[in-house]
Amino acid sequence: MKASVEWLKEYSDIDVDAIKLGDILTMTGSKVETIEQKGNDIKNVVVGKILEIKKHPDADKLVVTKVDIGGEIVQIVTGANNIKENDIVPIAKDGSELPGGVKIKKGQLRGIDSCGMMCSVGELGLELSDYPGQIEHGIMILDKSLEKELGKNIVDVLNLKEDIIDFEITSNRPDCLSIEGLGRETAVSLNKEFKNPRKNIDEQKVEDKKEIEGLTVEITAPDLCYRYIARMVKNVKIGPSPEWMKRRLKACGVRSINNIVDITNYVMLEMGQPMHAFDINSIEGKHITVRRARNGEKITTLDEQERELDENDLVISDKNKAVAIAGVMGGLNSEIEDDTQTVVFESAVFYGGGVRKTAKKVGLRTEASSRFEKGLSSENALRAINRAIELVELIGAGEAIEGKIDVYPTKQKINKIPLEVEKINNLLGIQLSKQEMINILEKLEIKVENDMAIAPYFRMDLEFVADLAEEILRFYGYDKLETTLANAETTIGTRNKEQKIQKKITEILVNSGLSEIYTYGFVSQKDLEQSKIKESLIENAITIQNPLSEEYKLMRPTTVPSMMQMLANNANKKNQNVKLFDISRNYKNINNEIENGEVPLQENILTIGMYGDDTDFYTLKGLVENILEAISVNRYDIEKETQNTSYHPGRCANLKVGIDTIATIGEVHPEVLANYDIEKRAYLAEINITKLVKYSRENKKYVEVPKFPAVERDIAMLVDEKIEVGQIEKIITKKGKKLLESIKLFDIYRNEKLGENKKSVAYSLIFRDKNKTLSDEEINQAMESIIEELQKTIGAELRGI
Amino acid sequence: MKEQILKIKENSIEEMKKCNDLKTLNDLKVKYLGKKGELTLVLRQMGNIQPEERPIIGELVNQVRDELNVLIEEKEKELKREELLKKLETENIDVTEPSKKINLGSLHPITQIINEVEEIFLGMGYEIADGPEVEKAIYNFDKLNTPPDHPARDLQDTFYINDEIVLRSQTSPVQARVMENQKPPIKIICPGAVYRSDSVDATHSPVFHQIEGLVIDKNISMADLKGTLEMFAKKCLGENTKIRFRPHHFPFTEPSAEADVSCFVCGGKGCRVCKQEGWIELLGCGMVHPNVLTNCGIDPKEYSGFAFGFGVERIAMAKFGIEDMRLIFENDVRFLKQF
Repeated sequence: MKASVEWLKEYSDIDVDAIKLGDILTMTGSKVETIEQKGNDIKNVVVGKILEIKKHPDADKLVVTKVDIGGEIVQIVTGANNIKENDIVPIAKDGSELPGGVKIKKGQLRGIDSCGMMCSVGELGLELSDYPGQIEHGIMILDKSLEKELGKNIVDVLNLKEDIIDFEITSNRPDCLSIEGLGRETAVSLNKEFKNPRKNIDEQKVEDKKEIEGLTVEITAPDLCYRYIARMVKNVKIGPSPEWMKRRLKACGVRSINNIVDITNYVMLEMGQPMHAFDINSIEGKHITVRRARNGEKITTLDEQERELDENDLVISDKNKAVAIAGVMGGLNSEIEDDTQTVVFESAVFYGGGVRKTAKKVGLRTEASSRFEKGLSSENALRAINRAIELVELIGAGEAIEGKIDVYPTKQKINKIPLEVEKINNLLGIQLSKQEMINILEKLEIKVENDMAIAPYFRMDLEFVADLAEEILRFYGYDKLETTLANAETTIGTRNKEQKIQKKITEILVNSGLSEIYTYGFVSQKDLEQSKIKESLIENAITIQNPLSEEYKLMRPTTVPSMMQMLANNANKKNQNVKLFDISRNYKNINNEIENGEVPLQENILTIGMYGDDTDFYTLKGLVENILEAISVNRYDIEKETQNTSYHPGRCANLKVGIDTIATIGEVHPEVLANYDIEKRAYLAEINITKLVKYSRENKKYVEVPKFPAVERDIAMLVDEKIEVGQIEKIITKKGKKLLESIKLFDIYRNEKLGENKKSVAYSLIFRDKNKTLSDEEINQAMESIIEELQKTIGAELRGI
Repeated sequence: MKEQILKIKENSIEEMKKCNDLKTLNDLKVKYLGKKGELTLVLRQMGNIQPEERPIIGELVNQVRDELNVLIEEKEKELKREELLKKLETENIDVTEPSKKINLGSLHPITQIINEVEEIFLGMGYEIADGPEVEKAIYNFDKLNTPPDHPARDLQDTFYINDEIVLRSQTSPVQARVMENQKPPIKIICPGAVYRSDSVDATHSPVFHQIEGLVIDKNISMADLKGTLEMFAKKCLGENTKIRFRPHHFPFTEPSAEADVSCFVCGGKGCRVCKQEGWIELLGCGMVHPNVLTNCGIDPKEYSGFAFGFGVERIAMAKFGIEDMRLIFENDVRFLKQF
């Protein structure tokens, strides 16, 4: 909301400059966005009279002039050709400044001294449209009457000085979307008297009529329209508005159209109540109905766009057709025309939520709708229409017709709130007496009677004691609030299990050389396809109704495409060795949660992605195993995974606890790499932290360091290539029973001599009994049992070592 | 004989002086003290001397042997030291040659800010709470005093999945969930990703991160809120940081405030980061609205509380001097490795 300080001065004395005023109002809740100080950038420009014009001796296009700038005659050389002797013009003197930081100094033009410059409208930073008769490429010719002002500052003479403050008004204060409301805030903030220039309007009585000049009004949707007032004006003379009105409209950023339309806008800016004006001839049947639109009903609005409505929208209608979308914009069919003679003014209050929805739907957020949607006072509507009529007569735009039609089905509720002094003091942490509180409230026109605060009609936002507390604090001073620490029960701040695990994992990853990344939860259908995510998982993706773009249309059911994209970004930038991790979520609609209005599954996933030197399947596997060890997930199986289409079918594994897959690791499928233009082999791991939390054992127990010696035996065997070492290890572990402390694979060897599709695998086995030294016999027995089982189940051939 | 012995002693000492290496020293030891050494040979000639002189000669031989042993031992130590010094000299290295370190990775700047804030509030007895990102509209809006037609729903353009499910536009729904499930006292912070329908540019992102805080107990005041935030600001941004409250409006708090901190780049003098104002807008906050308490099953007559929330990216950008928000989500390792 823009307000000129000049207009605000109608409501109270203002004895500080615009900057200071802005600071003060910001601290009382009307936050200043910008302050524009017009005229401040014009310095030392005065009114001058051209006494003489002579040709320049050395330049055809220049003239040499003598100018009277108030008792002093200066010589100025100019190229302008619209000037003649005795013209009154603005003169930028030697040492003057113009908008845009232009500095004027005396100098020579083609060898002739020139002591200043004559100014055009544009050079003074003014707009041609505000100065009819002036031309763009030429000197501004001032009115002859200004001859008596020679030498005076042009800023004063043309009244160019204007301070305009743009406020950010919060949605609870629609009353401050008006000069009157801001004027009231200004008065209280500066501790000055609020002058209320609309006293006559407040006291005015206008007779209620059922019909005026044949016009009648009816509301058929009282849930959407709380009050509708109509007044009429006859013998209207459509024409331009007076300068003062145009100037104030302009300061607030509103374009002048004609006197009647300008009055509606002026009243809206002054009092915060949007208004509308119709030509009575455009209202068929002279009957206004405020009704819900019919489904599919069309109206062409003032901006010449056709809009389609439905029964949730409210319209102002005549006997046959809608003439305005209520609270949003008028219809082209009832526009004020140059020949309009009788005007109907409308001042109405609509349900804010309804206006908001309609405005959003038709894509029209107007000055009117942005006020209505916040909920306006029905009491103010009457003041506004009476003010409009007053202005019509004041500027001679027409003659008021007696009486008003006032349909007011739902009286505005006046809120009464108990003034609970102790509660307010406790809530704020201050110590004010009741009287001090009352003093603040009464300045804001909140009356206090019998310990009840009565909110004025324009403060519909005041409902609770907390609201009173805020009003009191605003004028007690937010900056005076002390800083204390709650004197409350002691609480202990700790991370929960999942948070601890996550922190630990993060530390390990960073220490292992990985960089953390942040990714968006959005993916596109194309992203999922590029990553070859299987169809059954894609089906779980959640679709956003109003996405920013196709690219961000789905909530990802897997983090793989996000990581692939980031690897691709880095590959694209020629980053050589890249190791990334991301802890974020997937989003899966598995059991129609979305359709049932429930929250879908959102798991916390650690995603690792890497390519470059020293990275292969086994380094990634080692990293994942380290993580699991660090968070005490000790029992899991590693199983080959051949069906996960994002991964290399021969180089992918699932880590499982029972049947629960806690992680998938592997090399990225070459087709996926190609889709992302990544030339090196890349590796991915997805680790489900949500699941890990279940399997992480927090209680660690000390196991005695062994007292008795261990015995080491090596074993080497020839097996088929297709036998996984995991399978061999399972057999050894099972048959080694309790005596087997650990096994370690120390060699895998392939050679033509061993035979095709054969490999030699060698382990060292550590045996130990924690209670005694093992005998050879015991160990031999165990070894025999292991070997026998290996031969039997996987056809292993024992080899000498 | 006595002279012979003393001559041996003299000769051996003389030779020892010239000795420069351990091997020569060892040879010398054998030559004089060995089984066939000169001194031993003297003893063998004992039969040729008078019986009464024998003990005297014997004692002398022993004395000389002991003396020589000590001298040899000393010489040996000296030579060993010399040898070590020589070895150390040959093992000299250039300490400025490159190291063989294991490369460290890096924590994302957003995580670093979140961690820092978490540590401060954990220290003040807060717990860390979390909740769904794909969230019910009633938690994102309705319970927070923002009913369907509320104008505040316009302020933040929300991504909708359907009428009932949204991408949370703030982390406040976590607060509502905690209030519903936990009896006061409640002291939590909720960090997390939030979603708003803003196109990507240098200062906007449809996904960004917030940290919100909530305290509910008996007799919690706005002065406590200011005190808490002041303490936080000092710990997070420096001991000299000042805090300023300005009135504002949020549907879920009343009274509401925006809190500014003295610019942590220039200290309040005015610079590019604070747009010459000396203050940086840090967060929104206020006393929890009685409707919110009631909606979440807490009696506003008995309890009061405060809430605050801020954007992590903005703080990270100001603190690390990152000028374009897109860098944060681009994840170029050359960017990441700097943190």
